[in-house]
Amino acid sequence: MILFALLLIPFTYLMLALLIKKAGIKKRLAILFSTLNLLWAMALVPIVQYREIIVVQMGGWSAPFGISLVADRFSVLMLLVTAFIFFLITVYATQSVDKARRKNGHFFFTFGILMGVNGSFMAGDLFNLYVWFEVMLMSSFILVSLGGERKQLEGSIKYLILNLISSLFFVAGIGLLYGKLGSLNLADLSQKMELARANLAVLNPALILIFVGFSIKGALFPFFFWLPASYHTPPPAVSALFAGLLTKVGIYSLIRFYTLFLYYDAGFWQQVVLWMGALSMVIGVIAASSQYDFRKILSFHIISQVGYVVIALGFFTEAALTAAIFFLVHNMLSKTNAFLVAGWVHREKGTLNLKVLGDMFKKSPVWGILFFISAFSLAGLPPLSGFFGKYLVLQSGIEAGYTGVAMLALFVGLFTLFSMVKIWLEVFWKKQPEDSAMEWPVNQKPAHWMLFSSLALGTAIVAMGLWAAPIAEYCQAAAQDLLNPSKYIEYVLGPS
Amino acid sequence: MNNIILEKIALLFLRGIALMSVFLLLRGHNSPGGGFIGAIVLAIGFIFYGIIFGSDRIERILYFNTRIWMGIGLGFVLLAAVWPVFLGHAPLTGLWYTGNWPLLGEIHLGTPLIFDTGIFIGVAGLILSVIITIMEVLKWNT
Repeated sequence: MILFALLLIPFTYLMLALLIKKAGIKKRLAILFSTLNLLWAMALVPIVQYREIIVVQMGGWSAPFGISLVADRFSVLMLLVTAFIFFLITVYATQSVDKARRKNGHFFFTFGILMGVNGSFMAGDLFNLYVWFEVMLMSSFILVSLGGERKQLEGSIKYLILNLISSLFFVAGIGLLYGKLGSLNLADLSQKMELARANLAVLNPALILIFVGFSIKGALFPFFFWLPASYHTPPPAVSALFAGLLTKVGIYSLIRFYTLFLYYDAGFWQQVVLWMGALSMVIGVIAASSQYDFRKILSFHIISQVGYVVIALGFFTEAALTAAIFFLVHNMLSKTNAFLVAGWVHREKGTLNLKVLGDMFKKSPVWGILFFISAFSLAGLPPLSGFFGKYLVLQSGIEAGYTGVAMLALFVGLFTLFSMVKIWLEVFWKKQPEDSAMEWPVNQKPAHWMLFSSLALGTAIVAMGLWAAPIAEYCQAAAQDLLNPSKYIEYVLGPS
Repeated sequence: MNNIILEKIALLFLRGIALMSVFLLLRGHNSPGGGFIGAIVLAIGFIFYGIIFGSDRIERILYFNTRIWMGIGLGFVLLAAVWPVFLGHAPLTGLWYTGNWPLLGEIHLGTPLIFDTGIFIGVAGLILSVIITIMEVLKWNT
């Protein structure tokens, strides 16, 4: 029940949102339910510290036969950050998203995403994971296209098709894996693979299909093109939600998948993961530096940042996995906040083109500082969270003997800084170009809740930098659990 | 459209199909059938009815908005998921009641039936809301 409640909360909201007609009540309920979700996720942290891995068997059917919900420290951390970001984005959306969209079910579908994301973080069964991916994707398809602007529909077509292809790969892989091993429970599969260690090549077609599916969802190097084509089209509150949660679910699944299955065949997979991570990192950051749209730059940076997590996964030591988890959390917070600031700029000026923007720091120093915090946290300046994230990744890389990749990460950091400085100079610092100054609508509506959300996220980023040690300790405990799949197997299947 | 034979047949068809769908729903747990299939069959009846009478008449039969029906369906699912929790079982556990009733004989009733009823109502509501929207866009109200 402890874990099930995280599915129940969004589900109850979905039910109520269908039954209630008034948009105002739905908005209040959305805030209430996202708060509940946050509180519940916070309550999970001490429980998981005490019980290490929480397992719930749905319907009372024991593990390899029924559906299990499993949450170890890593899952719980992800659930907590998700709940935090989701709560703030819901508060933000009450002022950022226009009334027509809110009336047509904006909150309804964001809760659909929440349910899918929560479910994927807890899924203890491969097919169940697929189903939660679908729940998440269905809602995101609608959110991308909700409102029906021309640009939005163009973006949503690309988003829809590429993600459907990734689902196809994923479910085809699941089918092959089931045909070979006769089980879909993650713990059971991992145990069976350990027994079949000598003949793992038989499973490669299935594993590769699933791996490609996750890589498309997580926007890794050869499969990232859908992300920058679609993330800048929906309203800013929606792209912030996507940037903060959706690709990270793909990466979470990849980490889970790697630590439970792929590492048995590490000789092959480690190289693949390292190359894909390194190339995503480099290509994402170079592509970003050629863009002139606020949100497009940030979208390309998602790809580059995801690369850091994936190379850390490729190093595959305890320190590296600690770094990967820490970096993932940092990235969710910083990236979301950068998108929230972009949402404010969009609201004030009606455009996100860097060439015509300017003088925003003079307009509101608070928002300027908030952007500064999140952007330079992404670039990795101390004492913000990004510095410790990058530091941990680099250190673990050098310790594991991958100095070249670690140096590459350092080099990419420089380019990230360049892009962030570019946004900072163009949007906040430079004088607004004279010729475009008159056309912009002046927005007088209040934005205090938007500011509240962004302030809370900014505080979280700074706090994560200041209290990096206890958080890294927690991440280390999570990494130890990830490196020890037999513990996971024992908790899910029961002591053998 | 004024064709009395067609109208009578459509009405009869709807009633027959509705009965059939409930039958499919009830036999669902151990035999082929179930809430999803039942709902699709029910929707077929409504589509025939709508093609002849227009979507306004479907809405009149439904009484509530389709959105509300979907909500009610989810409510049933929620009930079936949470009920076992209050009795100390894992969520979604099937709880069964077996009794000997006069006339009906021995019957088994359980929370899976509640769950399936929720699916039935929810899916039927969803399909009908799609159909009604399409009919309204096409202005199919003869």
